[in-house]
Amino acid sequence: MRNRVRELRTSGEHSQGELAAELGVSRQTINAIETGRYLPSLPLALRIGQLFGEPVEDIFELEDGD
Amino acid sequence: MKAAIMQKRTLGIAVLLVLGGSIAVASAIGGDPSGAVVLAAFYLLSGVGVWLWSRRSGDVAALLRSEGDERQRAVDLRATAISGLAMGAFAIAGTIVQLARGEDPTMFALVCMVGGVAYSVAVGVLRARN
Repeated sequence: MRNRVRELRTSGEHSQGELAAELGVSRQTINAIETGRYLPSLPLALRIGQLFGEPVEDIFELEDGD
Repeated sequence: MKAAIMQKRTLGIAVLLVLGGSIAVASAIGGDPSGAVVLAAFYLLSGVGVWLWSRRSGDVAALLRSEGDERQRAVDLRATAISGLAMGAFAIAGTIVQLARGEDPTMFALVCMVGGVAYSVAVGVLRARN
């Protein structure tokens, strides 16, 4: 699964730590989501969408084989 | 805030040391003082190792505090499952080896039974809840 979390975060000039604090998760978790090592739960994905003001399906995208 | 986090982490290490210390004391009471010293040293070194690791890793620190976000809880859950599998495999192997040597396999078999029953009950409860 691909995602645009890093792109959206950097375009808003937020650090991983700031985004983590906003979402109530650890900085390591933001890093793991951005690098594709961790798939967030549906509630967290929805909160990420809310925070960036974008629908979740515009942030997270299925890849072939998913 | 930082002091509270530090206190919780220290409490986590203290629990590990008290449990390890209890095992060492039990070994001494059971008539094996040298074994008790080895066990105490092992648990003390483990405690120091975990403490140092938790200073380098936010994930480990969060697990020690029994806190953490969804990813850290998932890591904890998987690590618990893997350690359960390792213990189960060790208990089954121990039962087989003891039986093959003609010795009493009761302790290993008991661990197998506890694991099997706990797993069955957990599957039943979790299926009903989810």
